[in-house]
Amino acid sequence: MIRRLVTGITFSLVAALPALAIEGAREVFPAPGPQAGRLVIHGATDLETMRPLILDFQQVATGVTVEFVDYVTNDLYRQAEKACAGEAESGDILLSSAVDQLVRLANDGCAQPHRSAETLTVADWANWRDEVFGFTFEPVVFVYDKRAVPVEDVPKSHEDLADLLRLKPTVYSGRIGTYDIEASGVGYLLAFYDARHAPTAYGRLIEGLSRIDTVTRCCNSEVLGEIASGRVRLAYNVLGSYAYRAASENPDLGIVVPNDYALVLSRGAMIPKDAEHPQIGKEFMNYLLSPRGREVARQKAFFFDDGKPLPPGVEGPEALMESGVGRPIRIGPALLAAQDESQRSSFIANWKHLVSGE
Amino acid sequence: MALLLGLGAAALITAAWFYARTAADEAYDRLLLGAAFQMSENLTVQDGVIKFDLPASAFELLGLADSDRIFYRVVTPDGKTLTGYNDLDTGVDLTAHQSQPVIGNSTYRGVDLRHVTVSRVLTQKSGVVWAHVIVAQTLESRRALAAELTTRATILVAIMCLLALAGSAIAVRYSLHPVDRLGRVLARREPQDLTPLDLDVPRELTPFVDSINRFITRLSERMTLMQRYIADSAHQIRTPLTALNAQVSLIDDEKLAPADRRHMERVRRRASELSRFTNQLLNHAMVIHRFDSVQLAPVKLNDVARKAFRAAVPMTVDPDLVVSFEASPEELMVTGDELSLREAIVNIIDNALRHGAKGRLDVKVGRDGDNGFVEVSDDGPGIPPEEWGNVVKRFYSSRSEDQVSGLGFAIAAEVALALNGRIGFREKTEERPFAIHIALPLIEGGQA
Repeated sequence: MIRRLVTGITFSLVAALPALAIEGAREVFPAPGPQAGRLVIHGATDLETMRPLILDFQQVATGVTVEFVDYVTNDLYRQAEKACAGEAESGDILLSSAVDQLVRLANDGCAQPHRSAETLTVADWANWRDEVFGFTFEPVVFVYDKRAVPVEDVPKSHEDLADLLRLKPTVYSGRIGTYDIEASGVGYLLAFYDARHAPTAYGRLIEGLSRIDTVTRCCNSEVLGEIASGRVRLAYNVLGSYAYRAASENPDLGIVVPNDYALVLSRGAMIPKDAEHPQIGKEFMNYLLSPRGREVARQKAFFFDDGKPLPPGVEGPEALMESGVGRPIRIGPALLAAQDESQRSSFIANWKHLVSGE
Repeated sequence: MALLLGLGAAALITAAWFYARTAADEAYDRLLLGAAFQMSENLTVQDGVIKFDLPASAFELLGLADSDRIFYRVVTPDGKTLTGYNDLDTGVDLTAHQSQPVIGNSTYRGVDLRHVTVSRVLTQKSGVVWAHVIVAQTLESRRALAAELTTRATILVAIMCLLALAGSAIAVRYSLHPVDRLGRVLARREPQDLTPLDLDVPRELTPFVDSINRFITRLSERMTLMQRYIADSAHQIRTPLTALNAQVSLIDDEKLAPADRRHMERVRRRASELSRFTNQLLNHAMVIHRFDSVQLAPVKLNDVARKAFRAAVPMTVDPDLVVSFEASPEELMVTGDELSLREAIVNIIDNALRHGAKGRLDVKVGRDGDNGFVEVSDDGPGIPPEEWGNVVKRFYSSRSEDQVSGLGFAIAAEVALALNGRIGFREKTEERPFAIHIALPLIEGGQA
């Protein structure tokens, strides 16, 4: 991801600016109008995904210079924890796909509440305490290489995938990719929810993965890169938005929304309690939750939207939520269970023991 | 009333707030307990090591209080934090086994918490040990629930208060209605009507009405006594006076010395004056009491005036005096008491005979618009206008050198007033003689 970002920066207008933070890449979007304020976004979200949203936001708030600092989820969490303790600088708004980490931060009193006309439109399951809001709708999908996976092998469900690994272990050995759940907060969250939602299927899947020398990567983009490069043929637990973006650039990629159940992640946004410009942070939050922000997100950033049909080219059930296949990851205190240290360490240890054979 | 309601409402709302808080605490304490029990169930011993598998369902349970933050801590028998917030301290002694869950309030990280500590007994090689699960929750949902319950109770109390106020206002008005009616009945009563009240009133008012009736009865008895007393007095005083007059007239003036004769003449005059004055006084009292006690009735003015004329003009009148009576051609009816009215007219005629008429006295009954009148005119000097106002007062005499005049005009004026009429004077002119009249409103229709 960082590699991609650095590439992104070289293409951007502010390429000359040195990367100031060691935690992640940083990019500044100068205000199109006379500068009236500054917004610092700490994001565990691909910058290329956020770029159209930031630029459109600046059409609305022309006086705001936006500084985007990119982190991996776990780094973002550690940085926010430090900021909350007063040991580091705080962003004005945090964006992270690892919503459990944001919930933990809010539970620890590191967030400030925000209420507005826009926040009232947020679904119940995507709002906790008016502090953590889900601003995207991202089904978790399978991605496969159309060149390497024959149609009959394309799994339609988690069961199909487990069966495929059981029946053709040799074919797919070293050819299946997924998150490294130790390195990736969102990877851990998705695996944890898989284990909760379908313990049997999850058990079989892990058992299958354990036999085939699974490729694990820190981030979605790297997993997708491995498919593009032809090394990995099928990736499991990929966020639909990243998958769709990659697929729109590479027609060889196929996307499947599983039809037994599909986790739906809503990327979280939160205003830290020590934000330097909380007002602008809230403005940006309002923008993300507004119809305009959602429309830009659907067209240019995250592609999927609640209540809208799946984007073209994606296989899967039509009415995701109505059919009960879509299982939103509810933003609420239950996520604290995922954040429990002993739970986390034993879950990860278990996973690594099986998947990576350590 | 409003103050009482206000105090009651305040007490009720306070009670409601108290119950709401208790109810909210009880409801959410159950969630907290349930979660703590679920968590303590997941404490196990594997190969001599205490393991804890945090159940997400416990957090989902706590998540039912969806706006509350959650803190927890799992403490091993040796006092170490297995997982959770290791600085969460609720003041519960973690070295001892708690047979019952301990629930309490505390403050953590600057926020108020409700916490529960549950102990779980574990068996290790070294023997029986216990671990603790502490679960704490912020108070936002409880407060929100308590506030909502209190608000609803407050609305109910407010509605009840308004209903009570409106109800009591209506009740007071309704229950005082008979009093109003009683007041109106009393105000409408004729002054002569001394019969007991016959009025349908609520039971609560009967003592009041009974008292009024007893008072009326006593007053009525008293009036009767008074009238009897007046009648007796009149009789008792008149008889000796008549006797006295007779005795005085029997005295032979011729035999008296000239000085005695003069004295005798004064005695005679004073005695007759006393006799007349007593009559007037008794008549006056009688007239007043009659108006207090006698029901008024239609009276024919012609008849009354004629009777008065006959009564007032003595048979022994000076033959040089020309007297006339002219009745009204139509029958005039007035509301009045015949006796009193006759007395009034007699007094006017008597006064004219005594002080005015030299050669002529005319009594005329007539009609002037809605009023009927009896006019007495004489060819005497009359009463000058500046005296008109005074002569109707009691014991006033325009001719102070003359005998003490008395009550003649006063009686006439009081009778006229009592019958809604008036007494009037007409100045003497070249063409017309001096006249006094008494005018009374005619009964609707004017004639019988």
